[in-house]
Amino acid sequence: MSFRHLRAVIRKEINHILRDRTTFVLVMLVPTAMLFIMAYALTVDIKHVPIAVLDYDRSPTSRAFIQQVTEGEDLDLYAQVDSLDDIDNLLTRGEIKAALIIAPDFEHDLLSLRGIPLQIIVDGTEPKSGGFAVDHIGGRAEEFISEALASRIRALNVNVSLDSLQPIDLRVRALYNPSLKPRVDIIPGLISMVLGFPALSVALTLAHEREHGTLEQVLVTPVGRAEFLLGKMIPYIIVGLANVIIMPAIARVTFHIPFNGSFPLFFLLSAVFLFAILSMGMLVGVFMPTQPAALALSFLVIFFPGFFMTGIFFPIASMPAEMRMEAMSLPGTHYATITRGVFLPGVGLDVLWPNVLALLGMGIAFTAVAALSFRKKLG
Amino acid sequence: MKGNDSAIVARGLTKRFGNFTAVDGIDFEVRRGEIFGFLGPNGAGKTTTIRMMLGLLKPTAGTVEVLGVSVSKHPEKIRPRIGYMSQRFSLYNDLTVLQNLRFYGRAYGVENDLLKERIQDAIQMAGLEGHERTRTKDLSGGWRQRLALSAAILHRPELIFLDEPTAGVDPISRRAFWNLLYKLVAEGVTVFVTTHYMDEAEHCHRLALIQRGRLIALGSPEEIKRDMMRGQVLEIAPSNTAKAVKVLRAAREAGRLPIEEVAMYGALVHVVAPQVKQYQEAIAAELRQANVEPGPMAVIEPSLEDVFIACMR
Repeated sequence: MSFRHLRAVIRKEINHILRDRTTFVLVMLVPTAMLFIMAYALTVDIKHVPIAVLDYDRSPTSRAFIQQVTEGEDLDLYAQVDSLDDIDNLLTRGEIKAALIIAPDFEHDLLSLRGIPLQIIVDGTEPKSGGFAVDHIGGRAEEFISEALASRIRALNVNVSLDSLQPIDLRVRALYNPSLKPRVDIIPGLISMVLGFPALSVALTLAHEREHGTLEQVLVTPVGRAEFLLGKMIPYIIVGLANVIIMPAIARVTFHIPFNGSFPLFFLLSAVFLFAILSMGMLVGVFMPTQPAALALSFLVIFFPGFFMTGIFFPIASMPAEMRMEAMSLPGTHYATITRGVFLPGVGLDVLWPNVLALLGMGIAFTAVAALSFRKKLG
Repeated sequence: MKGNDSAIVARGLTKRFGNFTAVDGIDFEVRRGEIFGFLGPNGAGKTTTIRMMLGLLKPTAGTVEVLGVSVSKHPEKIRPRIGYMSQRFSLYNDLTVLQNLRFYGRAYGVENDLLKERIQDAIQMAGLEGHERTRTKDLSGGWRQRLALSAAILHRPELIFLDEPTAGVDPISRRAFWNLLYKLVAEGVTVFVTTHYMDEAEHCHRLALIQRGRLIALGSPEEIKRDMMRGQVLEIAPSNTAKAVKVLRAAREAGRLPIEEVAMYGALVHVVAPQVKQYQEAIAAELRQANVEPGPMAVIEPSLEDVFIACMR
């Protein structure tokens, strides 16, 4: 390994990045942009769910009830309908996500302190919006009815406790909190995912050199294969580290994610992760003859597993055994553990060392395989 | 056989890709300080041979020694001593002239003042003064070739390999390129060049002709012309060249004319046969019968192209 050769390749690669504005913007801004888009898309609060109401009672009380249910930004009263057929129609066409049906004796039952039957029909194809509507209507109904019952009890001046009429435990819903909660652990995971983006650039530059014949030219110089691969990787590690500074800052300022661990440690471990993921990109670039092929394979082996198999969205513990093995061989899995650990509980190397070793091992193994396969692939 | 004055010694060099034999047991020697031309049609195995000599491909069989070093055993030992200009433009399109030269210089360990000096020379040699900051993709073909050559010799190699260096370059640029090669040879550099331009082949000190992976001729252009030509060349200037070629080939097929080869040569036709002069009348008669005016005829000195076509048959 010659430092001179390595430096020659690094300088050249930096020239490429600076020359080509598109690449520069891509590697610098895309991870940040991806973080923003995904953080918002994945943790968005559900609002303005359209519902229909079929009111068989048509009393002042039922009207007041409808008013209270659809108040605010959560549920929108899309239509008041006259028959179940209408509801069926609207649900089928996707114009509403749920429908509330008020029984004919709603006011009467309420005034006589009886149980109140409410029916909610939901669109099962969209469980999220439907479930939200059910929870929300239920919550509002509880509120409305307990208030109405309380005032009725006062008006009738009878000695009945409200609790005996209302056995439902409201606290279950009080726990339901659609805001912020998921972001706290998703965003550190997302950072580990989008930081893999420079791997794509590395795979592409390598395929580019192959396509344009410059690879062959470089390989007849005294520059060794490992020197060439490392020299190509290092500038992208530097670019990646710029993102390592930017993204926790965004997480903190924009999404109010606490950063409880040591930042220097996080920076160092991020460099190790970049080495591992970029050598994966390198491996792709070595085996793929053209840039489109390198792009496709990067998506297949780096990005999609990075999405679905690194435990960011789906817990690794619930995967089948073979998939668990595969997940453990992805750099993103280990780095997701590191980011979450450093961000939230603020753990250090005493806990994370197995992940760090795994990342180092992968980086060395991938780079070695890439360097060894290099010559064969050229012939 | 091998001595200190051999730059390259290839013995039984063979490369097979699956069932296909690209290079089939070729032997040759390149002497130090000569321009050695490697001639052959496309797909004859020229590039494969070069890549084996560079250590980019492992031979299936046989050996090759470059500058006294076995390529398959110690490729890293010869790399600093050789230069290579591949068939395709091998500089970085998106980088400037200067950035390219710096990279290749440093890749060979040329640094600092020496690098500056060599880059100066290279830019002067390629005639690119004032274009140091131009991206190489904006250069014209001839300039690019000269720049690629200057980049390939920044580290002052003893031997350079050029794989069809002038393909697709205009004649004036080709001439300028060859003048550079002569200058290098005058300084003691050995040049191994593949080409299929016959005029360029005439400029080589020695030639190897390769066809379907086999070496079919080896020697100076004069030797090759003398040894490889089966007969003399009769040049005809008929009124209808295409028709004349067709008529004469038909006559050969029918056995009416004992000639070896009929080839179109611009507006002229070359007929090759031993003692071709004695068939002059018969040829003229064949042509007239087909309503083609034979025009002037003369026995001429065969060119390399005649030899090439004769050999490739």
